Amino acid sequence: MRWRWLLLALLLSLLPSAALAHVPEGGAGSVMAGLLHPVTGIDHVVAMVAVGLWGAVLGAPAIWLLPVAFPMVMAFGGVMGLLDLPLPGVETGIALSALVLGVLVMLQQRLPLAVAGMLVGLFALFHGYAHGVELPEGADALLFSLAFVGATGLLHLVGIGLGEARRLAWGHRLLQVVGAVIAVVGVWSLAQVGGA
Amino acid sequence: MVRRVLLPLLMVAALLMPRLVSAHDLFPGFLELQATGASTYQVLWKLPLLQGQRLPIAPRFPDDCALQGAPVSRQEATALVYKAKLSCREPLEGRVISIDGLASAGTEVLLRVRPWQTEALQTLLIQPEQPEAVIPTASEADQQPGVWSYLRLGIEHILLGVDHLLLLLGLVLIVRDGWMLLKTVTAFTLANSITLSVSAVGIVQMPAAPLNAAIALSILFIGTEVVRFMRGQTSFTLRHPWVVACGFGLLHGFGYARGLAELGLPHHELLLALLLFNVGIEIGQDVFVVLVLALERAFRQLQIRWPVWVRRVPAWTIGCAGAYWTIETTVSLIKGGV
Amino acid sequence: MPLLFAHLMQTGFGGFYDGIAHLFLTPSDLLLVLGLALLAGQQGPQGGRLLLTLLPLSWWIGLAVGQRWGLDLTLALLSTVLFTSVGVLVALSLRLSVQVLAFTVAGSGLLFGLINGFTMPSASSGLPLDVLGVVSAVALLSVLISAQVAATRSTSFCIAVRVAGSWIAAAGLMSLGLLLKA
Repeated sequence: MRWRWLLLALLLSLLPSAALAHVPEGGAGSVMAGLLHPVTGIDHVVAMVAVGLWGAVLGAPAIWLLPVAFPMVMAFGGVMGLLDLPLPGVETGIALSALVLGVLVMLQQRLPLAVAGMLVGLFALFHGYAHGVELPEGADALLFSLAFVGATGLLHLVGIGLGEARRLAWGHRLLQVVGAVIAVVGVWSLAQVGGA
Repeated sequence: MVRRVLLPLLMVAALLMPRLVSAHDLFPGFLELQATGASTYQVLWKLPLLQGQRLPIAPRFPDDCALQGAPVSRQEATALVYKAKLSCREPLEGRVISIDGLASAGTEVLLRVRPWQTEALQTLLIQPEQPEAVIPTASEADQQPGVWSYLRLGIEHILLGVDHLLLLLGLVLIVRDGWMLLKTVTAFTLANSITLSVSAVGIVQMPAAPLNAAIALSILFIGTEVVRFMRGQTSFTLRHPWVVACGFGLLHGFGYARGLAELGLPHHELLLALLLFNVGIEIGQDVFVVLVLALERAFRQLQIRWPVWVRRVPAWTIGCAGAYWTIETTVSLIKGGV
Repeated sequence: MPLLFAHLMQTGFGGFYDGIAHLFLTPSDLLLVLGLALLAGQQGPQGGRLLLTLLPLSWWIGLAVGQRWGLDLTLALLSTVLFTSVGVLVALSLRLSVQVLAFTVAGSGLLFGLINGFTMPSASSGLPLDVLGVVSAVALLSVLISAQVAATRSTSFCIAVRVAGSWIAAAGLMSLGLLLKA
């Protein structure tokens, strides 16, 4: 039965590694750029991890709906950003997302699935949009996108993994601390946005 | 039952014995070109002797090349060795030289070249099917990769060796369970490692033509066993596939060794190169076996019920290819040999 | 896709393996085959069988036609839209009718084969080994993956499949945006 997981892991690793496997002009550069892009901004990283964490707090079905839906919504936001469609308050939205998600995780607050979905979907749109606007010129589109999506998915996974710790004795405390840290980062970036 | 195994083995032995015992015939020819100037070369030509007779093969250089003075010749046990100086108007690098008479002689020629202004030697194998080669330039010879290229060479040799792959396919098809498969594959691996090693370092030499015939025969043999397996019959091979795998592994190991001849083994790091080549072979084999098993499994999962004739295709492919190669190689054995 | 991967990869192992490498090193093609295999597997063994029959065949036909025409086109937009939609279907884990699946598989096989054919020079003589390599790789990948997906019924595996589909769709969507911008 381990078999199928091996196969799946192989399959998922095929996506970015197929790109990494050969190094034509600019190809590897695009992959690296795509992998690194989601982790360049601390607010992004923290928000992605928070999404995973909160998913774990919400439990099924949110915990598996999230990694399925989030990448697509985020990519949609990315396309909006790329095409310069107007979306107001992106920077504020991103900072807010870290704050809100941090508080939700800290309190281990559960919301109805529809509300939670809307909230996370909105944040996904903001994050995608911000990335879309900042995308580098001349990157190989598909390789970059693949690596980008992969890196974001891995950040979610980190969050979900952390969130599963709540089943442990000291898990609640851990979640509170992590949630608080995320919220603080959110406040900090909110201050940055306000200051700028 | 035992007769069924013995008969083909005896046939193999019968084919091999006279050649192994009589002369060490059909050694490859050997041509070495060492550049002594931009377009002058020191030539060494080892002409193999077949029962004391010179093989009718000779290197042909481009028209603007001429030998300087008379070549010095010396007789060895199995070859005549010529040494001469060659002078050309244009450098030989990047140009074609051919071996006259190779197509009908049933042997091969190893060409070793050291182009001007490099220390790197490059070895090429010239085969009867295409009796010519392009002399590598200095930069090409310098690019000659290090010892890791032997790993790649091993993988390449097995991936392109359809005959070896068909034998493996046959072995996988006649094995019933995982334990038996493990024993069979291990036996095959160990056996071919042994003969590959002894053959590559030159302890045992196997002439090309009878070896090819024996390999072809082994494939034909395994083809018939697959058919027998599918008919629900049994035989010594089907009950003890690992024994046959071991025997054929010994045989095919000699075949693998010929893949090494393309590069020739470096004198330094000989063992490492040999090991890496062997590992490359095993990687290729294992990938192939895993692929076959994964496919079998996938077909089961998809609940595909193949029509009977489709299920027979692998066995028929192995059998027909084996039969064809057996005839082909035996003919060339008779024509080229005695 | 820019013409980055248009040329046939040189593995040094001959045309057949060059063909196999071509599939594995062309991200859009690889994603399409992965996506279709996941999608067909989600429909159960029947879907896998359909995929195994139709995809290599249509790919081959497309290749043959494409080599004949030899246009200098990559049809990047169209192919990206196609594999993005396949990814979305996988993420939604929809039950498709046989006709829709067959149409999707055959259509995308033809299109991607065609694009492959444009960029692959036809063999001057002998067997078109590179074509055989590409088609074998397509068949191999689709049968292995669709069979595994079809045979596994555990919830977490099904979700993982949908996540994979979502990644394919998201990557496709983003590169669509990049293509439109360029």
